[in-house]
Amino acid sequence: MVVEEERDLETIDIHVNVGPQHPATHGVFRMVLTVSGEKVVDVVPHIGYMHRGAEKLSENMDYRQALIYQDRTEYLAQFNAEMCYVMAVEKLAGIEVPERAEYIRVILAELNRITSHYMFVGAFATDLGVYGTIFTYAFREREYIQELFESVSGDRMMYGYFRPGGVVWDVSADFKERVRWLCKQTRVGINDIERLLTRNEIFVARCRDIGAIAAEDAIDYGLSGPMLRASGVPVDLRREEPYSIYDRFDFDIPVGERGDVYDRYLVRMEEMRQSVRIVEQALEQMPEGPVLPEKLPRRLRPPLGEVYMRTENPRGEYGIYLVSKGGEKPYRLKIRSSCFCNLMALKEMVVGHYVADAVIILGSVDIVLGEVDR
Amino acid sequence: MSDIDDESGEKPADPVPPGTVADTFREVLPDVAFAAAPGALDVILMIAREDVPRVLRAAKEDPRLDFKYMRCLSGVDHGEQGLEVVYQLYSYTHKHSVAIKARIPQEDPRIASVTPIWRGADWHEREAAEMFGIKFEGHPNPVPLLLPEDMTDHHPLRKDVPLVPVEEWQGVRLGPEAVNVGHIPAGYERLAGPAEGGGEEGKE
Amino acid sequence: MAVEEEHAERPPEASRPLTPSEQREAERLRPVEVRPGKALYRAVLPGVVQAPADYVLALSRKSSLWPMTFGLACCAIEMMSAYMSHHDLDRFGIIPWASPRQADVMIVAGTVTKKMAPAVKMLYEQMPNPKWVLAMGACATNGGPYTRYDRVLQGVDKIVPVDVYVPGCPPRPEALMEGLIALQNKIMADRKAIG
Repeated sequence: MVVEEERDLETIDIHVNVGPQHPATHGVFRMVLTVSGEKVVDVVPHIGYMHRGAEKLSENMDYRQALIYQDRTEYLAQFNAEMCYVMAVEKLAGIEVPERAEYIRVILAELNRITSHYMFVGAFATDLGVYGTIFTYAFREREYIQELFESVSGDRMMYGYFRPGGVVWDVSADFKERVRWLCKQTRVGINDIERLLTRNEIFVARCRDIGAIAAEDAIDYGLSGPMLRASGVPVDLRREEPYSIYDRFDFDIPVGERGDVYDRYLVRMEEMRQSVRIVEQALEQMPEGPVLPEKLPRRLRPPLGEVYMRTENPRGEYGIYLVSKGGEKPYRLKIRSSCFCNLMALKEMVVGHYVADAVIILGSVDIVLGEVDR
Repeated sequence: MSDIDDESGEKPADPVPPGTVADTFREVLPDVAFAAAPGALDVILMIAREDVPRVLRAAKEDPRLDFKYMRCLSGVDHGEQGLEVVYQLYSYTHKHSVAIKARIPQEDPRIASVTPIWRGADWHEREAAEMFGIKFEGHPNPVPLLLPEDMTDHHPLRKDVPLVPVEEWQGVRLGPEAVNVGHIPAGYERLAGPAEGGGEEGKE
Repeated sequence: MAVEEEHAERPPEASRPLTPSEQREAERLRPVEVRPGKALYRAVLPGVVQAPADYVLALSRKSSLWPMTFGLACCAIEMMSAYMSHHDLDRFGIIPWASPRQADVMIVAGTVTKKMAPAVKMLYEQMPNPKWVLAMGACATNGGPYTRYDRVLQGVDKIVPVDVYVPGCPPRPEALMEGLIALQNKIMADRKAIG
């Protein structure tokens, strides 16, 4: 006869430091997990290891020079960040943007959304443990789009192509051809990756019901972007407060149901397809014409005032709060970065899950440390 | 209330057209003094710093305003005129947005924290506190966020904190004992010689 | 000859006539011919090669540099592009390796802030000898576009000794490859020093 006796085990909670150098933290992010056994009881994120003072340095630069910090802040969705900044300056200074420049901006911004989501899928799959496969596919697709960006702006990553008033030079004659090819190739690339992940039993088992956050909490924490849409709130700034020419395009907004990691992944994959739709429509509608207004002042001096310009970046709502006191340099340039606000909800999402899930939840927030720390 | 454009008082604040969210605020809180001005995208309201907890709580909870989403909280350093805290709010149900500003004097930079109202104000306030030196009263965890813990004696985004000068190149000297490691770019041949007076010691 | 006949024989139990595909099986399933041969190098080279020990060690060290994945900021994305299939670095023997204890070279890709500097130093000290450091990008070289902010370390060579600097913001993957090849040349050239 076997007698089972119960004994109380003495346990202590240990602190696990997922330190600044870690293959799964997407950069220099540190979180200290307090675990009891394998379940996470508390998480304290520490940021600031990439705080480089973009805001302070922008105050000492021209309006055109301060553009470079936007690229380097959001270094995976550069065109979207540049677009927000140049639109903020245009709203303050009252500059009209020619039509062709608007279309070029939208096409490049949407293609950059696609590359950013490819990077998300690659890094997310690596967090799950798929060492290398999806990452390699994603980077292969990104390289195709990056070649186009290089031919348009001259640089593979830090473009600096947008200017207050338009874009700095016109695109080449084969731009439309290449973008059409890219649209076709992107559809193939998305299908390649989705075939491997979306219905994969292990993927679903690891991602379903992990890190869920309810809609009211999401709004309270200030979440935005795919994280908010995955929780069931059908908000996209391109529809809510349309900026640029987004009201001319017909696209859907993917909305999730439960707000868990799997929904966020699905929302982002579907957003890539909608971006391709937008690009195709923009290609058809794009007119000829100049890309900068004729009467652009040599020294840009917006009048007194302030503006908070917000755009829908791949990660959420990216905002630029620009205060101008009439000089050549911005008086205060505050960057409201999407990942900074999305990370505040980390504790709410992670507590109660296992350590391996904490890594996946962090991956699903899709952080870019340049943006979090600026 | 104080006017918004304060460096050069030439441009008077344009009156806000009726029917905007400023009127709703005045209706909800009739005894608070608002100074409204139109911004480039939103309406800007200026309030006194003592009214901040009341106004912002009403902004979130009153169903006519329903600003459940606090987008951004920034600090601005206006030098002599003091510091300023700007709250950007948006309502998903009524689809209106507003920017609320409160000015605080430089000698006494305290203001009530809105973290009890919106949990998403937490890190914004921590960052404004360390960048400008503003004390948010009622904040649950006022530790520095972005700056290293042992280097918070000065506040970088204040206007009186300058940028550091660019230091000289740190003296990469290929001394006489170095071997040819490949090509040396044109113009740098002098570095291949004996050690020259290189850069100064790094400041830490 | 003898081999083919073995396979051409049908097992005695088969009593029905063969189908055409079965008749062709002997031809289809002919096994490969293994010819005894001799490796070419045996004809050309002597059986024992004499080389200085440091040459061999330097050759093996440079041909299999394993960088510690230390991507800090934007340069990390270009570094990852260099590892991926378009500009493959694996053909040089360079595989990213997360643990500092088994890494040879630390590619500091991105801005080093003063908050991060103690961690960089600790990671460098955790790497076993021989180790090298490659400063990738303008920020790691001298602070880059962020050099005038007081929380940014103006160059990672203030805390660790750097062997190769790769300029650019960010440097192209080809530039990183050139930097790594320059590092390989340096390892070969410095072989007497490392010992």
